[in-house]
Amino acid sequence: MPKVSQRSRILIIEDDRKLSAALAAGIEAEGYLVSAAASAEEGFFLLHREKPDLLLLDLTLPQRNGLDLLRQIRQDRADVRVLMLTSHNTVEDRVEGLKTGADDYLGKPFSFPELLARIEALLRRILPEHTSDTLQIADLTVNTRTRTATRAGKQIELSQREFDLLMYLAENRGRTVSREMLARDVWKEQSRFTPLDNVMDVQIGRLRRKVDDASSLKLLHTVRGIGFSLREPEV
Amino acid sequence: MNWALTKQIRGRLTLWYIGIFAMILTVYVVLVFVFQYEFVGRQIYHDEVQDVVTVEGLLYFDGNGVLQLQQNYFSHPRSHLLIDRLMEVRDLSGVVLYRTANLNGTSLGGPSLPDEGDGTFNERVLRIADGTHVSLISHIHSMQGRTVLIRLGYSLAPFRERMTQFLKILLFALPVTLLVAGFAGYQIAKRALQPLEEMAQKAKRISAHNLHDRLEVDNPHDELGHMAAVFNDLLNRLEEAFRQLDSFTGDAAHELRAPMAAIRTIGEIALRQEGGSEGDKEAIASILEETYRLDETIGGLLMLAKAESAKAIGPNTFSLVEATNEVLEVLEVLADEKKIRFVTNIQDARGLAVTGDRSLIRGAIMNVVHNAIKFSEPNSAITITHAVVQSDGEHIELSVSDQGPGVERAEREAVFGRFYTSSRPQTAFHSGTGLGLSIAKLVVQRSGGQIYFDPDVSVGARCVLRLPLHRVHRSI
Repeated sequence: MPKVSQRSRILIIEDDRKLSAALAAGIEAEGYLVSAAASAEEGFFLLHREKPDLLLLDLTLPQRNGLDLLRQIRQDRADVRVLMLTSHNTVEDRVEGLKTGADDYLGKPFSFPELLARIEALLRRILPEHTSDTLQIADLTVNTRTRTATRAGKQIELSQREFDLLMYLAENRGRTVSREMLARDVWKEQSRFTPLDNVMDVQIGRLRRKVDDASSLKLLHTVRGIGFSLREPEV
Repeated sequence: MNWALTKQIRGRLTLWYIGIFAMILTVYVVLVFVFQYEFVGRQIYHDEVQDVVTVEGLLYFDGNGVLQLQQNYFSHPRSHLLIDRLMEVRDLSGVVLYRTANLNGTSLGGPSLPDEGDGTFNERVLRIADGTHVSLISHIHSMQGRTVLIRLGYSLAPFRERMTQFLKILLFALPVTLLVAGFAGYQIAKRALQPLEEMAQKAKRISAHNLHDRLEVDNPHDELGHMAAVFNDLLNRLEEAFRQLDSFTGDAAHELRAPMAAIRTIGEIALRQEGGSEGDKEAIASILEETYRLDETIGGLLMLAKAESAKAIGPNTFSLVEATNEVLEVLEVLADEKKIRFVTNIQDARGLAVTGDRSLIRGAIMNVVHNAIKFSEPNSAITITHAVVQSDGEHIELSVSDQGPGVERAEREAVFGRFYTSSRPQTAFHSGTGLGLSIAKLVVQRSGGQIYFDPDVSVGARCVLRLPLHRVHRSI
């Protein structure tokens, strides 16, 4: 589990209490400090009291629209990252939200790993992480500059797409990546769809044969119902 | 001609108009003629009586007791319809005392009738020996102590000739008048109906894309203005209905996706937590997988709803070959798994652009190629051909041919229907959301294209996707 040196504070403004509670529990389990509000008014109050680093803002709130609130927050120049959540997945909505001052956008329903990745990416903007050319998971080495991978010192022959996939999994090592994330970041598609799901299954299968078949230590895992992860198995 | 005329309202109006006008004119002609005939006839009678009186003053018995007409006074009847005077004078016993030469010795009116010309001027029409019709006036006159019966006649020929001429003129004028009136009537009907034609043209151009267009109302108080207003009102309601459908789409998206987002997040977080039996985790994973399927179906339905209201599709141009290559690149690994080869055949279509929404059409191609892979036998080939349609030169045709089980005749239309999945056992395994091809069809149609399964192939299936070619205007 990645631990953020200084525990970041996250405020969830979401009127669906069940979703809100699940989100709070899930995010808290990742080591963040979480508070939740069910309305814009309550959210605004908490925003000023707790001064969170990041705001998870649902756009469709009762009484007062999330965009309205966002506008007010930006007028006050409150220094907070805003990740917008909405079920109206239209381009206009997204553009409107980003123009109003949201830092990122996620359409409902989203995958939780993706939400975590976005949260981390937004918070990382504050503390830029040192990046190196090589990624290491157990005896697997991925060189992002030369675009080569070795397992136990032996070169793995990978197609371009397979390397992209491996690199993405390696960059997110230890974390589960969802199919939505793979669709967007590896296949550069706008959304996930059935043919692409089939393609992913085949591609992951091939990658697993090349990376794991020769070794007794399995690194590439399928997390049913959620996605895939590249990690050292816990002993 | 007649058939063509009656097909249009203006033609029928003109025919009715001509018919009614002809009837009125006929009655008018008959009345005018009868009136004229009577009037002129009466005039002639009057003139004849005058003439009788004049002649009476000119008659005298000479020294020998022979009746003479004073020739030194040349008398003329007043009417020019009375030419050639015929006269016979007889005494009361019937002896002819005087007879004009133009009677050629024949009698004028035969034997005397009882009370003929007694005290009044009798008139009758008769036929004399040479066959001419004569209007005859009889009058008893006393002169120089003697009483005579004067019979004075005039040929009716000039009068009748005049009347015939008059009738001929009337009858000739009738069709000419009708022709002129008919032409004028047609023009008036055409002009009166012109706004209707314009309204029809305008209404034809109004579709789901430009429902905000309205007909112009020149004068809201006349019939056409009223109709235009009613039509505009209909458009208002239609637009409102479309708008509601649109917002329904958005609302439905929210209402369905919000709880699904909760299910998904709750499930995913539950899976991440330590503890819990393997069985529970299996169940949650299954629920999550079904949730995704549900979301894809909702997404498909929303896409269909949006594409129908035609808002989602912005017109742009792109290279169909490029889009297809992207699709093939993504799906290649699936084909490779089944040892299926892609055979691409780009004829004269390279470098040509089509019009349409790129991402939606790319999705349509994705669906078609994915289907082809699903239904192909291992170790077969899928042929992808791009070609300009030779018959019109206005479209590019992309065809995807596989060597699978093919599409049965009865299914060729049905596969594009919503939620259609084949009931055939060899294809049942591959069922998806059942929306893919119907979305593809709607998207292609909205872009002005066509998608269908070629009915003329004997082996496998050949899906044809036809899109309008975007003409680039290059200066030479």
